[in-house]
Amino acid sequence: MLFNSLDFALFLPIVFVLYWFVFHKTYKSQNILLLVASYFFYACWDWRFMFLLLFSTLLDYFTGLKMCESTKLNNKKFWFWLSIIINLGFLGVFKYYNFFAQSLADSVAHIGITLHPWMLDIVLPVGISFYTFHGLSYVIDIYKNRIKAEKNIVDYAIFVSYFPLLVAGPIERATHLLPQLQVKRSFNYQNAVDGMRQILWGFFKKVVIADNCARFADMIFNNSEDYSGSTLVAGALFFSLQIYGDFSGYSDIAIGVSKLFGIDLLRNFAFPYFSRDIAEFWRRWHISLSSWFRDYLYYPLGGSQGNTWIKVRNTFIIFGVSGFWHGANWTFIFWGILNAVYFLPLLLTQKNRTNIDIVAKGKVFPSLKELFQMTTTFALVTLAWIFFRAKNMNHALNYIGEIFSSSLFTIPKFEKMGVALTLIQVILFFIIVEWLGRENKHALEKIGLKWNRFFRWFFYSFILFLIGMFISNEETPFIYFQF
Amino acid sequence: MKQFITTFAKFILCAFIMYCGILFVWGRTLSARFKPNLYYCVAAYGHTFSRLKEVKTKKNIDILFLGSSHAYRGFDTRIFEKNGYETFNLGSSAQTPMQTKILLKRYLEKLKPKLIIYEVYPATFTIDGVESGLDIISNDYNDLGSAKMALELNNIKIYNTFLYGTYIDFIDLNANYKEKRRKKYDNYIPGGFVERDMKITKIKTYNQSEWVFKENQLLHFEEIITYLKSEKIEVKLVYAPIPKSKYKSYTNRKEFDSIMKTHGEYINFNENPFLNDSLHYYDNDHLNQEGVTIFNQKLIELLKSKK
Repeated sequence: MLFNSLDFALFLPIVFVLYWFVFHKTYKSQNILLLVASYFFYACWDWRFMFLLLFSTLLDYFTGLKMCESTKLNNKKFWFWLSIIINLGFLGVFKYYNFFAQSLADSVAHIGITLHPWMLDIVLPVGISFYTFHGLSYVIDIYKNRIKAEKNIVDYAIFVSYFPLLVAGPIERATHLLPQLQVKRSFNYQNAVDGMRQILWGFFKKVVIADNCARFADMIFNNSEDYSGSTLVAGALFFSLQIYGDFSGYSDIAIGVSKLFGIDLLRNFAFPYFSRDIAEFWRRWHISLSSWFRDYLYYPLGGSQGNTWIKVRNTFIIFGVSGFWHGANWTFIFWGILNAVYFLPLLLTQKNRTNIDIVAKGKVFPSLKELFQMTTTFALVTLAWIFFRAKNMNHALNYIGEIFSSSLFTIPKFEKMGVALTLIQVILFFIIVEWLGRENKHALEKIGLKWNRFFRWFFYSFILFLIGMFISNEETPFIYFQF
Repeated sequence: MKQFITTFAKFILCAFIMYCGILFVWGRTLSARFKPNLYYCVAAYGHTFSRLKEVKTKKNIDILFLGSSHAYRGFDTRIFEKNGYETFNLGSSAQTPMQTKILLKRYLEKLKPKLIIYEVYPATFTIDGVESGLDIISNDYNDLGSAKMALELNNIKIYNTFLYGTYIDFIDLNANYKEKRRKKYDNYIPGGFVERDMKITKIKTYNQSEWVFKENQLLHFEEIITYLKSEKIEVKLVYAPIPKSKYKSYTNRKEFDSIMKTHGEYINFNENPFLNDSLHYYDNDHLNQEGVTIFNQKLIELLKSKK
């Protein structure tokens, strides 16, 4: 069930009404409804993978309890590693087995040995990377004595399977989500209205920006050998906007939907394309994953403490792993490594925390310096996205090779240029709204709040109209579902 | 909660009105590339506008033709007139049973035909009907039938065009619109036929393929037949000629024939070909005027012999 589907448009109001009118008396009844709804939501993708989700939930629930009950460190360690190994084992089998098997075969082929590894012919269970990371953070937090194990299995199961975040995050923390699930949620008008605004903007980003940019990005990337360098630049820019619109749109919808149920989810995006350097970009892009890696990988490795070698090593590890998390392909790993290369000079010169606040705070326009910094950062990020989007390393290198050829100085030319020019005007509207809302949690949080209701509603209606005018008739899945 | 629900309901109502307002201004002022989900195609192709304007002036005819472009480009009303039949051709581009049903409900009572020749082209049973839906919404008035069709098609382009078209109907913006009778190679003939300038073509070869019929189109087709039976109107289902190579490329021809036969008298003019692919078609689908004449004479002979 996609957020941008008719099924979800029916599912959400039904759950909403049941939640606030039928199951509203205690938090336990609210949780039971959310759990049933979440499992139904997940089963709509593929009910067979429900067993995997249930197993993962039960595994972490019981190992969490066992760790808390353990009086000896060795016992605690045993349950901890059992959970880690099984969780990563599942992820490894479903997501990475084919990659490792093929990479091994390719490596030994260089020394003349031919291997025909057995390959898994199975689709990746949707959301596995996300709910596995939920479980991992939970058991790590218990192991590190940051939290106590949750005794109520329903509460824990919702923490793992809560439908707004189940398939593509935000990756929640037990310390943030579980306490909210253990009190009765009361309806908050302002919160619900803000949720609706966030959902509206999320839909706009997904169906207007991402899906329309995707048509051009796909066309150019899939036939990149036919296009000039300048057109390939256009393709990379379209992909940059596609992936942002798609994933941040999804996050906005997820967070907005959750607000309707009185539950606050972690912020996932904070206007990353307005970043002035790569460090700032990574504080604003996929925040829940970046902070997960920071807290559970980077800090335990020593973080930015220690000598230069340690800093360099840790930076490459965290970015490399982050790339690998996205998918079993060298392109993702290289994408991560390239970001590490971008990041490293800032870290080594201790300038990685220079730009903490949002750009041009309290101002309408950025300074020329800020504009230059934002443009440069966006260009670097876009260059890295080419690896993320390319089919393989050769494709990415050829793509970039063509960009840095003399054909860069030609006029971009591709099919449906007229439609693309129209799209650019819609993108301009999108950028303006994002810029005006950049100091808030989401673009529409405060825009128009002080306007007369007629104009405010007209503005929202106009966004709805743009959705109606530019939406595709086919339901298009979110990019991050594949991760 | 009560405040949220009432405010939300008010917003939905206002947003709908504002959406329609913006749609109208947008539709009237911006060029096609700004309107990917609005296709209000008045007099765009197939002379549907002229045909649906003319049909409102007709009543009590002998034969009514229904169907796709094979109908309005295949049944020359002049030839039938010469043979003593008063006819009207209500075919339209890619007309599927869904749209045929709407048109019948609108015009059958007034036309009161003695006979309906329903051109059944298998491809129209395999498509959703969006193209024809847009054609009918843009070129005819919109009523509850159009609304039902929009809901059934569940396509954003159809919804937008329907809202836009309803507004255009409401302010009667197309009242004085006149479609040119002559358009490039096409000539509209009163009675609904569209004559293409004489031309022959080289028919291409086709790979084998199979029609996959849509359940809902078959259901609409059944409803049409039941409706016509209840109105006691004779119906002949006609599979008009198409180039042999194209016809033979479909592997489930017999399946289609048997579906049609169960619904009434069915004549497949492709089984015993009497036309020449290289002489009687102007493209890979449609008869040229020479082909139309031969085909229509053959049909008239058949009608007369059955009398």
